[in-house]
Amino acid sequence: MVKVVDMGDYIIEMLNITKKFPGVVANDNITLKLKRGEIHALLGENGAGKSTLMSVLFGLYQPDSGEIRKNGQVVKINNPNDANALGIGMVHQHFKLVEIFTVLENIILGVEPSKMGFIQKNEARKKVMELSEKYGLRVDPDAYIEDITVGMQQRVEILKMLYRDNEILIFDEPTAVLTPQEIRELLQIMKGFAREGKSILFITHKLNEIMEVADRCTVLRKGKLIGTVNVKDTTKEELSRMMVGRDISFSVNKKEKKPGKVVLSVRNLNVVSKIHGKNVVKNVSFDVRAGEIVCIAGIDGNGQTEIVNAITGLEKPTSGKIMLNGHDITRASIRERSIRGMSHIPEDRHKHGLVLDYKLEENLVLQRYWQPEFQNRGFIKFDSVRKYAEKLIEKFDIRSGQGPVTIVRSMSGGNQQKAIIAREIDKDHDLLIAVQPTRGLDIGAIEYVHKQLVERRDAGKAVLLVSLELDEVMDISDRILVIYGGEIVGELNPKTTTMEELGLYMSGAKRDVVKEINDAGEE
Amino acid sequence: MQERNSLLNKTKFNLKDITDNSVFSSFLSALLAIFLGLIFGFIVMLVAAPANALTGFRLIVLGGFRRIGDVFYFATPILMTGLSVGFAFKMGLFNIGASGQYTMGMFFALYVGFMWDLPDSIHWIVACIAGFIGGMLWGIIPGLFKALLNVNEVITSIMFNYIGMYLVDMLIQGNSVMYVSDKTRTRYLPAEVQIPSLGIPNSNVNLGIILAIIIGIILYIVLQKTIFGYELKATGYNRFASEYAGMKGKRNIIITMAIAGGLSGLGGAFAILAPSAIAGSSMTYEPINIIAANGFNGIAVALLGNAHPIGTIFSAVFISHIQRGGTLASLVGYKPEIIDVVIAVIIYFSAFSMIMNSAFIGFIKRYFGKGKKDFDDNMDNEIKEAE
Amino acid sequence: MEIVYYLIQNTLPVAIPLLLVALGGMFSETSGVVNIALEGIMLFGAYFGALFVYFVQDLGLNPQTILLLAMLVAAVAGVIYSLLLSFAAVNMKANQVITGTSLNMLIPAVILLFSKMYFNSDGVTTAVNFYIQKIPVLGDIPVIGRMFFQKTYLTVMIGILFLIISTVVFYKTKFGLRLRACGEHPHAADSVGINVYKMRYAGVTISGILGGIGGFFYSVGVMDGNVNGHTGVAGFGFLALAVMIFGQWRPGKIFLASLFFAFLRTLAYSISLIPFLYNLGINQTYYKMLPYVATMVVLAFTSKKSRAPKAEGIPYDKSSR
Repeated sequence: MVKVVDMGDYIIEMLNITKKFPGVVANDNITLKLKRGEIHALLGENGAGKSTLMSVLFGLYQPDSGEIRKNGQVVKINNPNDANALGIGMVHQHFKLVEIFTVLENIILGVEPSKMGFIQKNEARKKVMELSEKYGLRVDPDAYIEDITVGMQQRVEILKMLYRDNEILIFDEPTAVLTPQEIRELLQIMKGFAREGKSILFITHKLNEIMEVADRCTVLRKGKLIGTVNVKDTTKEELSRMMVGRDISFSVNKKEKKPGKVVLSVRNLNVVSKIHGKNVVKNVSFDVRAGEIVCIAGIDGNGQTEIVNAITGLEKPTSGKIMLNGHDITRASIRERSIRGMSHIPEDRHKHGLVLDYKLEENLVLQRYWQPEFQNRGFIKFDSVRKYAEKLIEKFDIRSGQGPVTIVRSMSGGNQQKAIIAREIDKDHDLLIAVQPTRGLDIGAIEYVHKQLVERRDAGKAVLLVSLELDEVMDISDRILVIYGGEIVGELNPKTTTMEELGLYMSGAKRDVVKEINDAGEE
Repeated sequence: MQERNSLLNKTKFNLKDITDNSVFSSFLSALLAIFLGLIFGFIVMLVAAPANALTGFRLIVLGGFRRIGDVFYFATPILMTGLSVGFAFKMGLFNIGASGQYTMGMFFALYVGFMWDLPDSIHWIVACIAGFIGGMLWGIIPGLFKALLNVNEVITSIMFNYIGMYLVDMLIQGNSVMYVSDKTRTRYLPAEVQIPSLGIPNSNVNLGIILAIIIGIILYIVLQKTIFGYELKATGYNRFASEYAGMKGKRNIIITMAIAGGLSGLGGAFAILAPSAIAGSSMTYEPINIIAANGFNGIAVALLGNAHPIGTIFSAVFISHIQRGGTLASLVGYKPEIIDVVIAVIIYFSAFSMIMNSAFIGFIKRYFGKGKKDFDDNMDNEIKEAE
Repeated sequence: MEIVYYLIQNTLPVAIPLLLVALGGMFSETSGVVNIALEGIMLFGAYFGALFVYFVQDLGLNPQTILLLAMLVAAVAGVIYSLLLSFAAVNMKANQVITGTSLNMLIPAVILLFSKMYFNSDGVTTAVNFYIQKIPVLGDIPVIGRMFFQKTYLTVMIGILFLIISTVVFYKTKFGLRLRACGEHPHAADSVGINVYKMRYAGVTISGILGGIGGFFYSVGVMDGNVNGHTGVAGFGFLALAVMIFGQWRPGKIFLASLFFAFLRTLAYSISLIPFLYNLGINQTYYKMLPYVATMVVLAFTSKKSRAPKAEGIPYDKSSR
């Protein structure tokens, strides 16, 4: 059922685009038409083919078949330069900014105004400042990217497009890293661009944002075009059905549960960053009790990573005290923390969570290989490892090509995450730390992860969740700690608070004098 | 049901089982690199002296078979340095310092050989152990720099190659018991310090090669079957994940470099303590400020053997084999350095033979069709990840 | 004071090869390619430079003209040799350290092979005297003239010129900006239409030019115009890498670092001329070890906060975004 609303005056037409990668059809005969001056949303799950389609339009990939037209003329886009020449610009999901360069250098990179090869910075600076003022995109042209906030980095990305006089603007998941207030600001800016006659492609999986700004919406699922609809004629429910292919429940089923004894307690924690030597965690104190999910919410880069690193032992705190089950583990080794009952689903599953070139079974014992169950006088008991792996694979439904001997690198992201969750949950633990456990997963896998986390809580474990997804924060946590600038600026109850309020705390616009937790809570 | 399927699969001949086998694919890439290296050598010979090129080339490829004893004798030190480099490589460390460790091991062995008074029956054994310790000391240093100060081990190892070489030369020149200054070499070692010969006529091949092979097998067992090996490889593949899993990364770096250094040092001891086929003489060391070539040849041996201990045994013998062939090629006018050229070219190609190799295997698969499905499925997932 | 003049006059010809090669390394690494092959590139450049000198030395040309021409030959040789690295690192996505090591091993063997076959020696020996007693006019400036423009080589002046050019290219041109982007965040560079592969080829090629010239200048300033397959360039390529790291991949700091190392080395080889140090009676070998030991000490202090290009050593793959 492909329905396309056809009305003429298209600035960009992508017709019957097919892009195959070895063994997978990332885009299967997809047609997308962008009208002049509209905001056109592109909706789909992770892996639906949105990024591939936009990469084709931006010249990063060549389609295997199909054609692209601009103003009715067939064009060939071989690389980003061609795209740029056609007025197509893109804000990438992961910003493409050189950290050691200044804002100005990043904006002009690739289109530097120059005389005899020498860069004319003053000329460039003037133009950037004009654009910055005109659109209210405040930036400091001489600041280094590594020193500025994520929000400002995004403004730099937008200025990059404006500097190139682009008239077709692609935004790839631009709101993922912003607070609700910043999101509203961005959506206003996008509307402003559209009023000026610029045409916008807006990639997202957030239905609210589509309803708010988009004129039309094209939905992809598993590489196929599901349809293009007028946003004002549709509903969130219909869009989500188109995206997932079935009805999904937005809320997690969660029983009332009374928290038990304190499992993790953090007191006056300070961490100095290894990267730039600044204090990034300031005097943080909190408790996590058995049978509750405590969520640390905040915008990326406000100290969450460092708090978790200090608790899990990956980084040393400069001062403060961390207690697990009444034991001081502030200086304990990672192994000791693990033995004392800490499980950790890490933020970056490829960097920390898995040895990608090891077999699945070897990864499943990564936290336990040294236990007597799996070794005898330093020699690995391969039989036990195999048996254990088979048990976990069955219990947690981990799918892979060759079972226990599959090289993990070849598994899908969702199944890799399942392997980590299986390993961390099956291991004896009282505290589960989960950092962005649903990042990059599709909706089915997200539901699975959420179910597992709630199950842990119901089994009387303490769960510390770090998440950037506000829906996730609101849905599954029992308590929310909001972090801003390395400090806990508020403690909220998800039942009584609103997204708006949460956003105000996250952006630092609002803060409570967080009550001093005294050490009476310790056992 | 699943069990049945897997049983069925076992009985069927499956091309994929072979092409996906990592031992097979590294063997294939090694062969490819050797092939290209030899071709290059042949071209050089053609350019240099076309008339004798074929004869010379045949000597290089086959000549070693006439001197099996020597092939194994000369394989001994490079097998040890090869095991050293390969062992560190499994942990993701590039031990380019095998030369310095080798030289240090040589010096320690010489020192024990000359300066210590020990019963004849154990003198050579103690000298070998001293060599191991000497190399270990020199290997630990880059390990410490890497683990504690985050200094790249490549640069450290190179610097300590030079420091070690100058140091050993100085220490030897300053010791009149060991050094004959008018001959600019060390004295002959007493026979009891020399490693027992295997008794093959006209060859110095000795117990060292047997010991080296046994050490290779032990390393294989350590890497494949023990939790130390598990930790070591995990660290090599992904340092961050190993840290996350509570492995003591820094400690393992230091231990690995110590063992790697010890292996090279033992190689130095095996080389200098080798018996001489000429009665009343022995191996000698010349302190002439040159970095030991056997350390660098160890890199070639390790890479060609894909850092696998058993593979390294074969590649050491192979490299030694063509080196003997190269010596023979000088009979028809080619300089033995031609072999160093061939070896360098082999390393060059083995650095990217994995990519050629996977292209080659992809080619086989496309042609024979079998196993393509699984291959594609894997790719499918990778693409999804990439998105 | 005599000793000060002597040390300065002798430090500069040693510092210049280090400087040039380290600058070469900087260009290569900021484009994203680790260039451990600098040692080999130097030797290759030195050998061809010396070969050229050997073949023209009897034509009666002005020594400084020969030097300039040989420099060009060395640069071309360096470029050709560096292409082997670019090809492996960029097109074949090979391990750059291993490739570099193989290139370092290859070249001494090739030199020995050909020298033994054609010259019946271990290298090539030339007989042109490039030494300049005193540069006209500049050499007469009090103090400074004696320090920098007497008893020196043309290589010093050329080296300083290259330093200035390199600095300007690195910081002020769009080429420099783009090059640095490729070593730091190649995907960002790609997304604004910069061809990362080409830029990496360019970076390595510049290191070929500077490495080749540096090698030849080494043979002029340190080895009296000779090149030998056994001693090669005595680890100068590796020292240059250390200089580059010490200099934090920045031209100005690299210059200072190269002066520091060259001074240590000159000191080590001049012990017998400095009564104070000579009388200490320390074995001269210790002084020979000094530059290497100093490297380690310096790296131990600087590596913790090293600002190496983020993407160096990682083959760029368009598809893995």
